[in-house]
Amino acid sequence: MKTFWQRFLLNPRVIIGLIWLGAVVLVALLADVLAPRDPFAIVGVPFAPPGGAHWLGTDSLGRDVLAGLAHGARTTLLIAVLSTLAAVAFGTLVGAIAGYYGGLIDDILMRATEFFQTIPSFLFAIVLIAILSSSAMNLVIAISVVSWPPITRVVRAEVLSVKSREFVQAAVVAGQRDHAILVSQVLPNTLSPLIVTGSLLVATAILIESALSFLGLGAPNQMSWGFMIGAGRSFLRDAWWLVTIPGVAILLTVLSINLIGEGLNDALNPRLAEL
Amino acid sequence: MRALTKSLILMAAAITMACGPAHAQKSGGTLVQITQPEPPNLAPYISTSGPIGQVTAKVFDGLLEYDFDLKPKLGLAESFTVSPDGKTVTFKLRRGVTFHDGKPFTSADVQFTIMDVLKTNHPRGIATFKEVTAVETPDETTAIFKLANPAPYMMAALSGYESPILPKHVYGVGDIKTHPNANAPVGTGPFKFVEWRRGEFVRLDRNTTYWRQGRPFLDRIVVRFIADASTRTAALEKGEAHIAGFGAVPYNDVRKLSALPSVEVTTKGYEMISPLVEMVINTKKAPFDNVKVRQAINYALDRKFVIDNVWFGFGKAAVGPISSNFEPSGLFGAGVDFTVPDRIERANKLLDEAGFPRKADGTRFEMVHDITPYGEEWQRFGEAVQQALAAVGIKATLRYEDVAKWLKRIYTDYDYDMSSNFLYNLADPVLGVHRGFHSDRIKKGTVFVNGSQWSSPETDALMDKATTEADAAKRGALYRELVTKVTEASPVIYVHELKFPTIINKQYKNLIDSPLGIYGNYANAYRE
Amino acid sequence: MGGAALGRYIVRRLLQTLPVVLGVVILNFLLLQLAPGDLATVLAGEAGGAPKEYIDQLRQRFGQDQPVLVQLFHYLRNLVVLDLGYSFRQSAPVLDLLLARLWPTLLLMGSTLLLSLSLGVGMGLLAALWVRTWKDHLISVAAIIFYATPLFWIGLMLILVFSIKFGWFPTSGMEDVVAFNVGFARVVDIAHHLVLPTITLSMFYLALYARLMRASMLEQRGLDYVTTARAKGIPERTIVTRHVFRNALLPVVTMAGIQFGSLLGGSVVVESVFAWPGLGQLAYQSLFARDFNLLLGIFFLSACLVVIVNLVVDIVYVLLDPRIRIG
Repeated sequence: MKTFWQRFLLNPRVIIGLIWLGAVVLVALLADVLAPRDPFAIVGVPFAPPGGAHWLGTDSLGRDVLAGLAHGARTTLLIAVLSTLAAVAFGTLVGAIAGYYGGLIDDILMRATEFFQTIPSFLFAIVLIAILSSSAMNLVIAISVVSWPPITRVVRAEVLSVKSREFVQAAVVAGQRDHAILVSQVLPNTLSPLIVTGSLLVATAILIESALSFLGLGAPNQMSWGFMIGAGRSFLRDAWWLVTIPGVAILLTVLSINLIGEGLNDALNPRLAEL
Repeated sequence: MRALTKSLILMAAAITMACGPAHAQKSGGTLVQITQPEPPNLAPYISTSGPIGQVTAKVFDGLLEYDFDLKPKLGLAESFTVSPDGKTVTFKLRRGVTFHDGKPFTSADVQFTIMDVLKTNHPRGIATFKEVTAVETPDETTAIFKLANPAPYMMAALSGYESPILPKHVYGVGDIKTHPNANAPVGTGPFKFVEWRRGEFVRLDRNTTYWRQGRPFLDRIVVRFIADASTRTAALEKGEAHIAGFGAVPYNDVRKLSALPSVEVTTKGYEMISPLVEMVINTKKAPFDNVKVRQAINYALDRKFVIDNVWFGFGKAAVGPISSNFEPSGLFGAGVDFTVPDRIERANKLLDEAGFPRKADGTRFEMVHDITPYGEEWQRFGEAVQQALAAVGIKATLRYEDVAKWLKRIYTDYDYDMSSNFLYNLADPVLGVHRGFHSDRIKKGTVFVNGSQWSSPETDALMDKATTEADAAKRGALYRELVTKVTEASPVIYVHELKFPTIINKQYKNLIDSPLGIYGNYANAYRE
Repeated sequence: MGGAALGRYIVRRLLQTLPVVLGVVILNFLLLQLAPGDLATVLAGEAGGAPKEYIDQLRQRFGQDQPVLVQLFHYLRNLVVLDLGYSFRQSAPVLDLLLARLWPTLLLMGSTLLLSLSLGVGMGLLAALWVRTWKDHLISVAAIIFYATPLFWIGLMLILVFSIKFGWFPTSGMEDVVAFNVGFARVVDIAHHLVLPTITLSMFYLALYARLMRASMLEQRGLDYVTTARAKGIPERTIVTRHVFRNALLPVVTMAGIQFGSLLGGSVVVESVFAWPGLGQLAYQSLFARDFNLLLGIFFLSACLVVIVNLVVDIVYVLLDPRIRIG
């Protein structure tokens, strides 16, 4: 039987995913070196096609698409990762408490979770942006608020099943405190579905950000891929590269995150993978 | 004054024949118009929301109509006279006109519309008819407006779009503010309201008993609502829709459409609207209370870049608060020229003088620039302004909020530094220009008035004089002085006159035949 | 299971959901109060500027001059008799506005669900049968590409190609507004207009169902009963079609059900690209106009439908899997 890391890293899908995602992370980290100027700076003639002085062309105001792509990678990834972390943290907390204590606490928390699911999530994100106004921070808040309920459900279900197992019961009998049991015994066992769901949330967050930008609700001072798509959408027929380049970047990133997520899933549940 | 009155009477006589006999126009056909966004209701008498008029101007008539030089033509009024003191205006009304429900139109309807509806409920009517103390109706075809002071601007605001005449027997019953006919208008116009399917279309059918013989030619008008700009272009391209204006089509797509053999593009039909792109500056807040800072920002803006790259050429650099569309009527005037070649040096010098030298990082101070929440071109405009300001050392952060929040910020809380904005000059400077910087228009909570909170006794006096001055030449002189003073103080930066393109399918003729353009009634339009 | 038991179960579930819906209404109401700006300002703004008296007049008419809790009380009291209030912006009762948009929404969402479920289940099934072959990879990648391509881009491309270039479909709208068809011709016309938006929206959901179906198939195939069946010598084909497929469908149905509830909020993007008169656009516009009576009505409707759909999903579960018991 191979180890987890072997199963994970030797999976060709995972390798492809990691290569692309690694490249994106690298570009995001080095954005200031790769494109030292403000990505909003007007540096050339508008609508210069790719391949000229500006490798990936310029947009409707004459801004460099490559600089936008590099700086956009940073904002897009940051928004996606932060909102996912927030959603996972909060969702896990609620789900663990609900699942572990059960009874009335469970009822109240799950009803509250249900409330968040009765409003269509994209519409809910729009409502939150309307209330908070658009900035990178508020996008993180809005995206995490609409995406934590599924995490809660996953964690709660896992906690319910783990709770009754012997090792947890043993800890209870041994007199460990509730939060200690939760942290040391219960939560580690919910990790695998959590990582899989969470990795997909990153992809969803990127898509939500780009859809909000499409509607003109993105953060106006941060260059992001969604922003580039939103700004380029009117020129779909005149300057294909304005939407296509950030669109493909999003597509590949979402794809690679999915590949990695699936790879994780397979590596964590070897029985399934070896069918 | 007397000369003016005389000329008005003569003109009235001369234009009685305004609607000549029909030539080879064929009857029939459905016109599909795209209006963006969907109007909230069809009650032009309580809301002047842009899209409403694009639908209702076909249903309601006004007392007057206008030609491209903004001179009045006759509508429901058969003739009109203005008394020598300017305080009595007498309208003779057309006989035999009926509303769409078959009931006759009389002077009682005019009285009701002006006094009970427009003067009390219409957002702009409150100002337009401020001086009207009574509308007397000696007989069924005479309506006499009694004014407390002369109001020359009122004569420019009597179109079916601005002041629609309502049937008293319909709108006089029940509360006008929640009237059931707010979504099912009844008027005397060339087209009758049939159906409004929300989110889809409004259908208007030919009024077979229209008072203009043989008009309208079209059988039907369907006004469609398509939320996405690119889809609007596609619908026009495919011929599913035949006319669209007011920025409904992205400016860059207009070029593409105008290249099609089936489509023509015109920028006519906005002479009575005269939209102006501006920047409002909060003059009560440092450092914008400093006139040099405001002038520096004014110099820093690159009007040509914005017109060429954000509005794709559909604009003309503004030289003051009054649009060049008022050139024929003699009210136009140019102020300080902020487009001089050495504008950047001037801006830098002004900022140095104002006490904001460049710091080590090259910046002078930071500010927040609010963006008009009316769509994409405004975001691009904000980004271009941000770059222009950066060139003179002002670091601007952009803020983009929705309409409700933005209005509250600019006009209620005054919690802003500078915001882009978009205002109409309308039919007369009294209606559209004074509101921007008159002291009596600094009204917390009222939108699209003096948000920069700047005023001066001198400019106030000039405007007050121009309001009641009936002589066009003297008014023009007052306005030229005003324009110079206002541009010097720069509480508002006038960026450019927006030239909205109207896209028309060539099969349809005569659609844009007045300075109101899409706000016209299409009575003379026909399909080839 | 008897029909009576099922009936009792439905009634009990419905009773349980009442407090949830009530809580949702109250929370939504309070949430929207947080949004700055109000309907009166927006109406005045749309009117291109209005005097203060006019705005005050509007506020009074909308009841916005009263404390929030009083407004909430009025709202709840009206809700009891299903009076969702009046949209002052659109000068019409909220319920009428909602119902007018409901059937176009149901039509689009229903057809989308049908298309994406059938294609998604098919793709997932094939991917599972061909697991770890290039065909499986191809299907997975294709599904994610559909999922990650912005909807507006797919929509506009479909319009450009199939509407403008080939002229096969209308660009937008729900029916031909020049012809105004009636009877069967109208049905055909609407179906014709429905094709492109349905395809666009299905692209997005297709991926979810395909993935879920694949995972679910693989999981079922690993379970004991399949091994037992194999040991008994039942042909693989029969196992897959009679047992695995049927059980694997369960989570997909659940997902589809949950999604259908939220789908009723409509799709703002697809509706706006195709000018489809759905609830999504209505909600979007009413939010930005601060027309909260209307928006609350949409949220209420959506909450009710989510609850009902959840119930239906549970019932379908019972019917699909006799081992699950109600109660």
